[in-house]
Amino acid sequence: MNLVSFALGNLRRRPARTALTLSAIALGIAAVVALTSIAWGFEASWQKANDARGTDLIVTRMASQNAMPSPFAAAPVREQLARYPHVQEVAGLLSEMLSVGEDNPPIFVFGWAYGSYLWEHLKLLDGRWPADRDEPAVLLGTLAAELLHKGVGDRIELEGRSFEVVGTFQSTALVENGAVLMTLDQAQAVTDKPGKVNVLNLKLDGQATEADARFVKEQVRKALPGYAAITSGELVSRNAVVRIAKAMSHVTILIAGLVGALIVFNTMLMSINERTREIGVLQALGWRRTTIMQLVICESLVLALAGGLVGIAVGVLIASGLEQAELMRGKIAAIYSVPFFLSVLGLSVVLGVGGGLYPAHRAARLSPAQALRHE
Amino acid sequence: MTRASAGGTALAAEPILGLRNVSLHFDDGRTKALDGVDFAVDEGEFVAIAGPSGSGKSSLLNLIGALDVPSAGEIFFRGAAYSGNADLAAFRGRHIGFVFQSFHLIPTLTALENVMLPALGRSWSAAAQRRRAESLLADMGLRDRLHSSPTTLSGGERQRVAIARALINEPSLILADEPTGSLDSANAEQVLEFLVGLRAEKGLTVVMVTHDEGISARADRVIRMRDGRIERAGQPA
Ligand SMILES: Nc1ncnc2c1ncn2[C@@H]1O[C@H](COP(=O)(O)OP(=O)(O)OP(=O)(O)O)[C@@H](O)[C@H]1O
Ligand SMILES: [Mg+2]
Repeated sequence: MNLVSFALGNLRRRPARTALTLSAIALGIAAVVALTSIAWGFEASWQKANDARGTDLIVTRMASQNAMPSPFAAAPVREQLARYPHVQEVAGLLSEMLSVGEDNPPIFVFGWAYGSYLWEHLKLLDGRWPADRDEPAVLLGTLAAELLHKGVGDRIELEGRSFEVVGTFQSTALVENGAVLMTLDQAQAVTDKPGKVNVLNLKLDGQATEADARFVKEQVRKALPGYAAITSGELVSRNAVVRIAKAMSHVTILIAGLVGALIVFNTMLMSINERTREIGVLQALGWRRTTIMQLVICESLVLALAGGLVGIAVGVLIASGLEQAELMRGKIAAIYSVPFFLSVLGLSVVLGVGGGLYPAHRAARLSPAQALRHE
Repeated sequence: MTRASAGGTALAAEPILGLRNVSLHFDDGRTKALDGVDFAVDEGEFVAIAGPSGSGKSSLLNLIGALDVPSAGEIFFRGAAYSGNADLAAFRGRHIGFVFQSFHLIPTLTALENVMLPALGRSWSAAAQRRRAESLLADMGLRDRLHSSPTTLSGGERQRVAIARALINEPSLILADEPTGSLDSANAEQVLEFLVGLRAEKGLTVVMVTHDEGISARADRVIRMRDGRIERAGQPA
């Protein structure tokens, strides 16, 4: 027997209360896990897409904070960019969230400059690439094909236009697997934005260094007022949706931590009040105040950690449920990591100790004679 | 100390316990649970404290056991005054073993674990603790009940577990507050035998509160209390 097994026994004495407390903590932690993993997963999915394409810098409207930056006329900017040293390629990209047919959830539609490097990282699974920039053809990512129940030879309707599915592809980035892909010219026509792009993707040549990338950024800042050259990470973290998701996850962490601590506080206060006489007995047996505090803290910690572990499991379930939900599929992949789970357990420890501290102090401060007379 | 200086002989051992003009007040002095108590207990003595309900017996035992601090007066253990600053918990753990009327065993722990409880959080090896607890329970005739929950034990068995628990830290002073008060006469007799035996076999000092004249008659000396004062000290009549 040790302090921990004694603490466990004390918690088992009131199974219903222990279970309720544990569930309440678990729910809070689950909300933290689900929201945080999704918020960060959202960011990571987008960044991954940009990285998979081999894009070094992204030129966008400076003030734009949309998930997809607002469109601008590509030609003048593009000419300017092509003149900078080490710029190997400038590829325009237009992206839109559209619904395909009546019953399907909205889906990403990407238009990529025909023949640009953007296409190179995709793996063609079936069919072929578009024949030229003006062919009314689309390719489907593996997940999009599954979601739309379409394959090579089928047709899909977009904004009243009909496109033939000429191929299916696979990408290392989830958002691309969930997308419909066409040439930039076709996308501009479908969305009625002739000559416009959301971003221009820059690929630097093999000799380009970090300093060269910084030079390009600087040049854009000076020569193209209203535009910025940024990395994919910067683009994603500027994204208002990502920022809102992160802010919500921070608020959830705060609320779950506070509520969890209050619940532990309440439970432990009830528990030590019930056990006043027993605490008097422990004191009579020579237990020091510090040992009594340790016992109460230990019980709080067990509650919080068990709640935390259950919460992590439930949170992962919720997040994967969200990932699979029709509306979200192919757009978000929750990310988890060992440090993330450790931080969540750290949050549990903090709320456990925080909630248990005062009850522990109360228990330790009891006068043994009074405690023994209790009841 | 009082007795040593009053008694005079250099050979007389220092009493294990001395109380000098000890009072304990509650409710801002309106309740005088103890009111100027003086007495001493020698090493190895078996002292009974008798008296009507509310006369201050438990209060006296609480002060001796450092569960409470006197409102006035001083208490000495082997000549040293308990001081307010001293680590009273450590003092209790090292020198005092408590036995209560209603046993006060922890229901979630087995008999063996209850006996090991005082040693929890101390730097003893777990194996040594366990061996000692097992042997104490065996001494109390509970060899077969080591892993029983207290809720499945009879009153007499529970009190024997409590006595084993009181002994685990090898105290020199056993304080028992009506240890037989919740037991039938056969079990009461058995528990009393164990307490008397502690004195005889281990040389422990026992101070026991009891209502029962028959039980106090077994003590070396009976201290009678009334209204927070000692009425008469001496050999039982
Ligand atoms: N914590 C306390 N607060 C107020 N009054 C107290 C407290 N403890 C004891 N008393 C009072 O002090 C007096 C002595 O109490 P004590 O418990 O010592 O009596 P006792 O001799 O042990 O009685 P019993 O035989 O019923 O156990 C009683 O009047 C009691 O009400
Ligand atoms: Mg009493």
